[in-house]
Amino acid sequence: MRYVVIILLGLMAQTAWALNVVATTASMGMLAREVGGDAARVTVLAPPDRDPHMLQAKPSMMRALRDADLVVAVGAELEMGWLPAASQGAANPRILPGRPGYFEAAAQVPLLEAGEKADRALGDVHPAGNPHVNMDPARMAGIARALAERMAKLEPDQAAGFRQRAERFAAAVAQRLPGWKARAAGAPGAVLFHKDGNYLLDLLGLPVLGYLEPVPGVPPSAGHLQGLAAKLKGRPGVILHHPYQPARGPERLGELLGWPVRQVDLEPAKEADAQAYFHLIDQWVAALAPGRP
Amino acid sequence: MFKHSPLAAALLAASLAFPMATPALANADLDALRAELREMKQSYEARLAEMEARLKAAELQTVRTERPAPAGSDRLGQVSSGTAFNPQISVILDGVYYGDNQSGAGPEKYEHIDGINHGHDHEGHGHGELERGFNLRATEIAFSASVDPYFDANLMMTVDSGGGVELEEAYFDTRSLPAGLKIRGGKFLSGIGYLNDQHPHTWDFVDQNLAYRTLLGEHGIMDTGLQFTWRPRTGSVYTLLGAELLQGNEQVFGTAGEEVPTDRADGSLVVTGNGDLAGEKAGPRLFTAFAKLAPDLGDDHAMQFGLWGARATQHQEVHDESDPDAPQTCAAGGECVHALQGKSWLWGADWVYKYDAPGAYGQGDLKLSAEYIRERKNLTLAFHEDPAEALGQARKFTQDGFYLAGLYGFAPNWQVGVRYDVTGLTNKLDGPAGRIWDKNDSDRWTLSLTHHFSEFSRLRLQASTADLWEDSLNGVKNRVNQVFLQYQHSLGAHGAHKF
Repeated sequence: MRYVVIILLGLMAQTAWALNVVATTASMGMLAREVGGDAARVTVLAPPDRDPHMLQAKPSMMRALRDADLVVAVGAELEMGWLPAASQGAANPRILPGRPGYFEAAAQVPLLEAGEKADRALGDVHPAGNPHVNMDPARMAGIARALAERMAKLEPDQAAGFRQRAERFAAAVAQRLPGWKARAAGAPGAVLFHKDGNYLLDLLGLPVLGYLEPVPGVPPSAGHLQGLAAKLKGRPGVILHHPYQPARGPERLGELLGWPVRQVDLEPAKEADAQAYFHLIDQWVAALAPGRP
Repeated sequence: MFKHSPLAAALLAASLAFPMATPALANADLDALRAELREMKQSYEARLAEMEARLKAAELQTVRTERPAPAGSDRLGQVSSGTAFNPQISVILDGVYYGDNQSGAGPEKYEHIDGINHGHDHEGHGHGELERGFNLRATEIAFSASVDPYFDANLMMTVDSGGGVELEEAYFDTRSLPAGLKIRGGKFLSGIGYLNDQHPHTWDFVDQNLAYRTLLGEHGIMDTGLQFTWRPRTGSVYTLLGAELLQGNEQVFGTAGEEVPTDRADGSLVVTGNGDLAGEKAGPRLFTAFAKLAPDLGDDHAMQFGLWGARATQHQEVHDESDPDAPQTCAAGGECVHALQGKSWLWGADWVYKYDAPGAYGQGDLKLSAEYIRERKNLTLAFHEDPAEALGQARKFTQDGFYLAGLYGFAPNWQVGVRYDVTGLTNKLDGPAGRIWDKNDSDRWTLSLTHHFSEFSRLRLQASTADLWEDSLNGVKNRVNQVFLQYQHSLGAHGAHKF
């Protein structure tokens, strides 16, 4: 009987203490887990192998958002197609934009390509800036610190722990950064499928040589691939794409140019920790700089 | 780069000075030299400009990457391209090329589907009557914004090609109620069923299904009032419970404020004296309740079940058999007009299943949906031109319908859809002495092919073949084949991908 009481108390304590965090993508979930530690219970909405632009609001998302204390989103309109609809269906006032329960990673750091022309003739553009900040470990360190402050606001008793863990994550990034830069130095650059690896290439000082999508959100066409091949003929490079992006376009361009085609993940696994995230960056660096240790 | 600038200047000077220094040279040679110099100059200038641009880009890059990550700062809100105070605006353009095998009378045959609501369509034809050839369908214009920390507001109107404006929805939503509660007020599409609160631009087919069309009206239930919704905590299952108090204006199954006409449709005078319709009751006269349940099936699958009911506490209808469109006809100068009033019921069940495949641009995605609707009108005779007809006689109308639809993404940005819909499986009128009539059911098969150029534009080819009963009692049935080529463009704010 005594044990039952202890277990019950333990369960109650668990639900009372832990911050209920819903992260939109796996890398945001990783950050929330790293910073929140035991003081946060994290649910991830978007499967890592799906295009985060194209998801639909599902009832299970509304269910998760209904009881969330904090939503950790990538932001800059990446989740625009589904997060507002899911939040609407969740009827949870704590997590609406502008409230402390809504955290947007893109709002914490300067964005690439901010202020570009808002014209859909240029595709599914994000005039507020490129939202794929999760591909920049240095920016992610800054985001971790901001997230610690936010969690501290919501759970002041745990503030020291949040800040400490954010610093630990930032230190781990700082430790790996020179290694990544050294390995990538002098690499020829890459053709990306979509504008999602830009932050990492920017961090490593490598050029983005082109995109398989003629404009964001439109699948590659034969004419566009021919044009790319004509422009890039004779120089070295690699072609990168994600598992959820059709492989036909990248392979065709690879044949035309004689370049290696590599599949890389945009997101780590749903339950990823910092190690898994760093492994993802390792995977990109290795793909960008082939033939180096 | 500065190393090259004096060189360029020198070349420029030389090119200018050269002709004067060597007057003896032939003109042809001079021209050739000049051209060569000009070419050299241009190529140097181009290279200089390129190097300058590269330097600038490199400087910018350093600034960007070396900007320190903010330590301990935390910003509220979100990054968006929307303007802060102005509502988000979106516009949907919708056009159709239409053809049928009825010399253009297809849409009319759909108006005359045999059933309990025949000839009582009180709706304006907001979404337009189709002609063979090019049609511009109603353009949807939507505004939405947060009013303040407590309310969101939405407005949706349509403008048809003739310039007629219809306000479809204008409502507020609360945004700070606790415990999963929300209140919506204003004019809105009812939350019953799966398709009812969807606008035509989110439909998977060009036209409304037969069950909705005949039992709820082209728009579904759209009315003014209040909606209360609650999402209780039910473990891993998403539960939505809702109830609505609606005014009950101009619904197919809930119409009040009707009056016995003074003239018949053929122009002759109506003989009054035997009964009259009651006055309009105070609203709300239409009540709905709905429940939606969705178990968590993981990342790839999603399913939702719904059950709903609606009741109109006052329903009135006038039957004028001298109207050439009426189901029955009367002898000229006979007793053509009578009126009924009472209450009506609707209930329905809906089911949606979605499979989200890992493929990009919707490849491999599957969506299946089905809905069943049943309507019952419990009316009594309130007025009859024939003084011999006893008032208060019961007239019980019953009709039901359903649809089954499937949508599959067979290639990136390409979808194929199939739909089967029926109305009037039960289609009957009962009086005090038993069955007065039984009518037949009308059904249809639809096939659609949709190409999404991007998220914001699509082209859809749809073909359907329908067996529509116009007059079951006299054996009049129409086989209506229709073909549509539709485009839809969405401008402005990024729409949501609703479940």
